[in-house]
Amino acid sequence: MSRAISRRPLILGAAALAAPAVLPRQSLGNDVKVDLVHLWSGADHPIQKLIKAFNDKGTGVTVVSRQDGTTYETITQKAMASIAAGRGPAMMTTGWKLGDFARKTLGAQDFRQIFGPERAEALLAKFRPQVRPLAAVSGVPIGLPWSMSTPVVYINQSLWAAAGLDPAAAPKTVEELYPMVRQLQEKTGKQGLCYEVNEWLPQAFIQNAGGDVIDADSKPAMDSAAAVKGIEAFVQPRRDNLWRVMTIPEMVAAFQAGAIGVMASSSARQSVVRSAAKFDLRLIQMPGLAGHPRRMNSGGNLLAVYSKVKEQQDGAYKFMEFVSSKEGFEIWLETGYLNVTTNDIPVRPGNEAAQAQMEGGLTSETIWPGARGLEALTVHIDWITKIVNGAVSVPEGLRSDREAVEKLVMA
Amino acid sequence: MMAAWRRLGASPWMFAGPAVAASIVFVWLPMASTLGLSFFDWSLLRQEATWRGLDHYRGTLANPDFHLALGNTGLYLAALIPLQVGIPLVLAFALVRVKAKTIGRLYRTALFAPSVLSFPVAAVVWLWLFNPTVGFLNTLGGSIGLAPQRWLSDPSLAIWSVIIVAFWKSFGLNLLIFLAALANVPTDVTEAARIDGTSAIRQAIDIELPLISPALFFALVTTIIVVLDEIVGAVDVLTEGGPYRTSSNLLYFLYERGFRHFQFGEAAAVAVLIAAIVASVTWAQFQFGERHVHYD
Repeated sequence: MSRAISRRPLILGAAALAAPAVLPRQSLGNDVKVDLVHLWSGADHPIQKLIKAFNDKGTGVTVVSRQDGTTYETITQKAMASIAAGRGPAMMTTGWKLGDFARKTLGAQDFRQIFGPERAEALLAKFRPQVRPLAAVSGVPIGLPWSMSTPVVYINQSLWAAAGLDPAAAPKTVEELYPMVRQLQEKTGKQGLCYEVNEWLPQAFIQNAGGDVIDADSKPAMDSAAAVKGIEAFVQPRRDNLWRVMTIPEMVAAFQAGAIGVMASSSARQSVVRSAAKFDLRLIQMPGLAGHPRRMNSGGNLLAVYSKVKEQQDGAYKFMEFVSSKEGFEIWLETGYLNVTTNDIPVRPGNEAAQAQMEGGLTSETIWPGARGLEALTVHIDWITKIVNGAVSVPEGLRSDREAVEKLVMA
Repeated sequence: MMAAWRRLGASPWMFAGPAVAASIVFVWLPMASTLGLSFFDWSLLRQEATWRGLDHYRGTLANPDFHLALGNTGLYLAALIPLQVGIPLVLAFALVRVKAKTIGRLYRTALFAPSVLSFPVAAVVWLWLFNPTVGFLNTLGGSIGLAPQRWLSDPSLAIWSVIIVAFWKSFGLNLLIFLAALANVPTDVTEAARIDGTSAIRQAIDIELPLISPALFFALVTTIIVVLDEIVGAVDVLTEGGPYRTSSNLLYFLYERGFRHFQFGEAAAVAVLIAAIVASVTWAQFQFGERHVHYD
């Protein structure tokens, strides 16, 4: 079957094909495209709402969401490859523990240089003074300290009440908490407690006992007497059969299913836990250790700029201005992160304990120094896991941990 | 010889050229680059290289985590080859003898179904079954009085949990290969054996097994590749090599060096060592395995 093409459709078709090349660029939309690499999935995640709310304002900047993985390490790894290929992200959510690596290796930009000292200060002034150093490496501000979480205790209030425990009880120390967990386990037959086995929660125990994982001189100090005491308190419920050790996804799934009475985890996990829990959920502050001042840690990520293109840097600035505003941060707090800005935003229901813990003062997440810092972090987690599993005693495990980490961070 | 080549003209180059070019660009050049990289400390971003000689090889060979990954790789092979080759073989012999066609098809479909999943997807399914508190396996075990197990976080169990998932996910493909091979066994041969009064077991061992030996050898080669290579997806999703590297394997060790710790020079040295190990295993397979294969 053949079909003749007349002159008119031919000219119209040719014109349609040629138009994009001939017409001025402005007529196709001149928004500056700024991509934001992050690790949050789901179309209804607050990151998508935040980006949409900004893009809807028509500022001349369009932020493009790019989920490149589900962990800070994965997105950093992909960013590294794309930077090497000359197509690095304009902005990326960067784990605080990777701040040193981001600055020295990935080339996270100095806010004062790319925005100018005054504009950088105006942006960072919207954040509380105690969190601003967390997004700086050696005094250089490389990010917006927008996402902060802290370890808190999640209580299955239905099991708690069924065990005959005071529904409003908020134990201040683990010495108070553990007998309550025992009572819950004995009365309900459910698993009493579960802790995350990683580097973050044990850091809280070490610090609350007066120790440090890495000291102020960047030297590993996780086998000090105080640190040993902290980790002894951490593993005590495992020895007492109150805690069946499991992976973090397993722990969250079991807690959501109502099979665990008490769980210690990040406050930022709250929205996920709450979404599937069919019981009354209560969050309390992470207990400290009796006889020691509390020194709780924080975690999270900073929003860093990696682009070296002025147009994109300015676009990133506009987005960051929006993120820091009351409107932007109200959206961001839906994640369960804390209000670290000076904006007067009412605390979201359920977030009171974490917010109060932050008001009491938080230290930063451990930053693993040196070119082999990330390897040192893996080694540290391995030793903590060995200790938790009872494969090695606490003092012996922490001593081996310190020796192994020392070799790597000093390398 | 030269005259023969001249007579052929440019035709061989035209036919083989694209494939040769692709293998040079995508296989041989990256392999040569990896070998070169293994002698340097190199940053992907700074593009600066510092000569380290054989340091990365010495460091890797002295690293206890490498020894653990090597031992685990041996365990994965030792456990999964008999499981993924032996059980599908026995099942295939049984299934070809199922007379009812509908039931036979049903069995084949059910047994092959997991093979269409990728390793990470299969692992996600099993994450739920393995949960020590609310998982199906412990619930089932509990109903018959067994103590609950920490499938993924017990250092002595984690590797076996990965093996269970790898077996479940992969054995269907070998089953299909054996069923296809058995379907091609000439019926006059098996019929003659049956008339002679040969038992079903003797018929399977002495007649059918030699006739399907090329398929058996193929399944053996591909299973080793799957165990050495693709299983890393299940390791990553289920255990991330833990607890404390007890379920890691060589490829996961390489992945961690390169893409978690960003030590590209070391990762390149590990890659070269893995390539040498795989080449040795493959050579041994062809040296000792292929002589038992009957292609007639």
